[in-house]
Amino acid sequence: MSTRAVIDITELPHHQFDTYDPVWWGNNLLLAIETSMFAILIATYFYLRQNFALWPPPVAELTATLKPLPLLTYGTLNTLLLVLSCGPMILTDRAARQGSRGVCQIGLVICVLCGLGAIVLRSFEFSAVYFRWDSNAYGSVVWFMLGMHLLHLLVLTTESLLLTIWIFAREFDMKHRVDIVTVAVYWYWVTAIWILLYAIIYYVPRLG
Amino acid sequence: MSHEKAQKTQNEVPTGNASKSSITDEELAEAMRSEREELEETWARPSGVWGWFTDTDHKAIAKRYIVTAFVFFLLGGIEAALMRIQLAFPESHFLNPDRYNQIFTTHGTTMMFLFAVPIMTAFGIYFVPLMVGARDVAFPRMNVYGYFVYLIGGLLLYAGFFLNTGPDAGWFAYVPLSGPAYSPGKRVDIWAQMITFTEISALVGAVIVIGTAFKMRAPGMSINRIPLFVWAQIVTAFMIIFAMPAVMLASSFLASDRLIDTHFFNPAEGGDAILYQHLFWFFGHPEVYIIFIPALGFISPIIITFARRKIFGYVPLVLSLISTGFIGFGLWVHHMFATPIPQMGESFFTAASMMIAIPSGVQIFCWIATLWGSKLNIKTPLLFVLGFFAIFVLGGLTGVMLASVPLNLQIHDTFFVVAHLHYVLIGGSVFPLFGAFYYWFPKWTGRMLSERAGHLNFWLMFIGFTLVFFPMHQLGLNGMPRRVYTYLPETGWGTLNLIASIGAFVLAAGVLVFIVNAVWALRAGVVAGDNPWGADSLEWSIPSPPPNYNFHNIPVVQGRYPIWQATADAPIVRGLNTKKRETLVTSVMDAQPELRFDIPGPSIWPLMVALATAVTFIAGIFTPWAFLVGAILAGITLTCWFFADPNYENKSARETGEKSEKVAPRVELQPKEV
Repeated sequence: MSTRAVIDITELPHHQFDTYDPVWWGNNLLLAIETSMFAILIATYFYLRQNFALWPPPVAELTATLKPLPLLTYGTLNTLLLVLSCGPMILTDRAARQGSRGVCQIGLVICVLCGLGAIVLRSFEFSAVYFRWDSNAYGSVVWFMLGMHLLHLLVLTTESLLLTIWIFAREFDMKHRVDIVTVAVYWYWVTAIWILLYAIIYYVPRLG
Repeated sequence: MSHEKAQKTQNEVPTGNASKSSITDEELAEAMRSEREELEETWARPSGVWGWFTDTDHKAIAKRYIVTAFVFFLLGGIEAALMRIQLAFPESHFLNPDRYNQIFTTHGTTMMFLFAVPIMTAFGIYFVPLMVGARDVAFPRMNVYGYFVYLIGGLLLYAGFFLNTGPDAGWFAYVPLSGPAYSPGKRVDIWAQMITFTEISALVGAVIVIGTAFKMRAPGMSINRIPLFVWAQIVTAFMIIFAMPAVMLASSFLASDRLIDTHFFNPAEGGDAILYQHLFWFFGHPEVYIIFIPALGFISPIIITFARRKIFGYVPLVLSLISTGFIGFGLWVHHMFATPIPQMGESFFTAASMMIAIPSGVQIFCWIATLWGSKLNIKTPLLFVLGFFAIFVLGGLTGVMLASVPLNLQIHDTFFVVAHLHYVLIGGSVFPLFGAFYYWFPKWTGRMLSERAGHLNFWLMFIGFTLVFFPMHQLGLNGMPRRVYTYLPETGWGTLNLIASIGAFVLAAGVLVFIVNAVWALRAGVVAGDNPWGADSLEWSIPSPPPNYNFHNIPVVQGRYPIWQATADAPIVRGLNTKKRETLVTSVMDAQPELRFDIPGPSIWPLMVALATAVTFIAGIFTPWAFLVGAILAGITLTCWFFADPNYENKSARETGEKSEKVAPRVELQPKEV
């Protein structure tokens, strides 16, 4: 009678944070896709800039300003808000790992509010760009950059909202704790991409 | 290292955090008998129409992908035949110019986006879990979503085509021809949105393949033992991730230029037509490798099986795949040598285009070295691989010619290019694909295809292919431009065109033999058994067709050739729940057990999200408000997806009396021998 060695996995957990969980990989691969999208979008911005003697292009009307730079107010406020929102997100991230439900609930609510705030500020940012999307190629590409990032703000805020509802209304289970840690990665990524876009959209025209 | 020591490390059981025990054969057989019924019930697939819309089984989805892509292949083939009828004689009036434009555009679009990429993804979705020893793919519901998005995209293109609104600006739809000024109407918009659908589906497939290959490998399948098929799928998936966003941007810019008057490609307002070409080919060249690299992944297992020996140069083969993946991103400008690119820049792309011949050459020599001196078992799959060598090497040679700028300028947009691209794509991809059909058909269906019909199929396709495409080199050198609907008799192109058209029908006859063979084999083919070819990889260790749960016990892999190297007392994994869908998750490098991962079961919501996507992009052809409505619909359906079947895992955990989850510490491991 022969015997076989057995790896008994009955004791293994179902979920675990970070690289253990396939969900972490799924999320990060999505971010890889979107990072290459933004990289190509930024390349497009600089490619189109070559076609302009002045960037942004001058305005045709005599009464208008000669160099219509994008207004800094809302963009800067938005950058500050997103960077600050990483604070509660870091706390939520830690709380999810340690299993403190209360901190996660408060943290996620603050983050969702920050996300909503960023979306509202973004709607003002569009009008802070002097041109419309259909004015010229400069307007088109800047609107597109703002819009693609807005799309991520919407998805991120919705996702955080759904998780908030889940941990208020249902269980603070391991599966959704892993989800919270995963959303935190997304949150940091959205902030980091925005810092890059903010620098390009608002300061490249100011460089001359 | 001595053989004895190698043997010892080979048999070490990688346990990670799991415990180790042993079981006698009788106990094992007894336990499996009592579990089988429960497993069947847990992994049962939903039936009927509802079942078709909700089923998440990766094998069912992959078969659906393959059948759908094959139907598109036949449609694309019929379009090719129509073009060959038109071009058989000078001044022919079989098709009018407008119809001809729609047909060649739809042919190219179908073959690239609706056939080649999805069918390669489908092979990955079917075989990656089976080859790495998993019970399903990493994200089965997303997989369902990917399929429906692809199907809807394909139907959109053909709905347009049959309503005389088929795209007509070529499969790469260059601006300004495809822009609002020169292509009024909705033809190009259909093309642009079809691109969006197929790209979403390809990206979804790529994430699934990487997730499965990285995290769901059976214990023992450390990264240096991953089958070459799976390596090819991994490299392809990464290329999709970095290349596809470029074409999504290109098609979105194009669609918004046409719909809401943006100026990305409008030179009058600072836009740039060459920008479109850069964006398209930054995707478009890697696309060639996205189609070709999975085919390389078919060739290795076929050669291993029919040469009946281990592959020569596993490490160089893997490194070649990876370096092809990298260099593939440095070639795109060679499609644009006829545009005002600085000469210095062109020479870099010439160098890269020639450099990519090195990894391709390394692979071909490794395969030849494997075949050399082995006792060849010449079955149809191997025949198609040998056909691949002949055709692909010729296509590679014309590729090196086209990498040279002066020659490229001379034959740009001629039939020489048409000949070249069909040599690399049909030779590099379709021939290995047909080999793969013959090789894996028994696994899908449990029955063998006829060998005699297989040989006939191969020779008809090989001779037909050569007759169609070899004369096109000469036609191109004689100056015949591509994409003309007819030509004058005085050009003297008639004879070669007639030969090509006759060849097209021989090629079509070959495909027809395949279809007849497949239909016949489904009814009356020889019953295959688990492993009809005596192959080495894990998919052949389970019944044909595989049960819904794939593996009753997750195997423990003892080498690169799991079946050939398995010892009689090979260890196995025990302890996966039989009352709910679970699979084993392992570490990325060493495949050490980490988690018992919950696999979600059937759901209607992936289809609903796919429909929301469809509403967004199809209505988006007509009005920008579609994107607002679509976003709301997508939000609603995704919320339902998130909240659907609440607590399924906790509930079943209670039912099965499971203990609370413990946190697994990371374990350091010594590197293993192969």
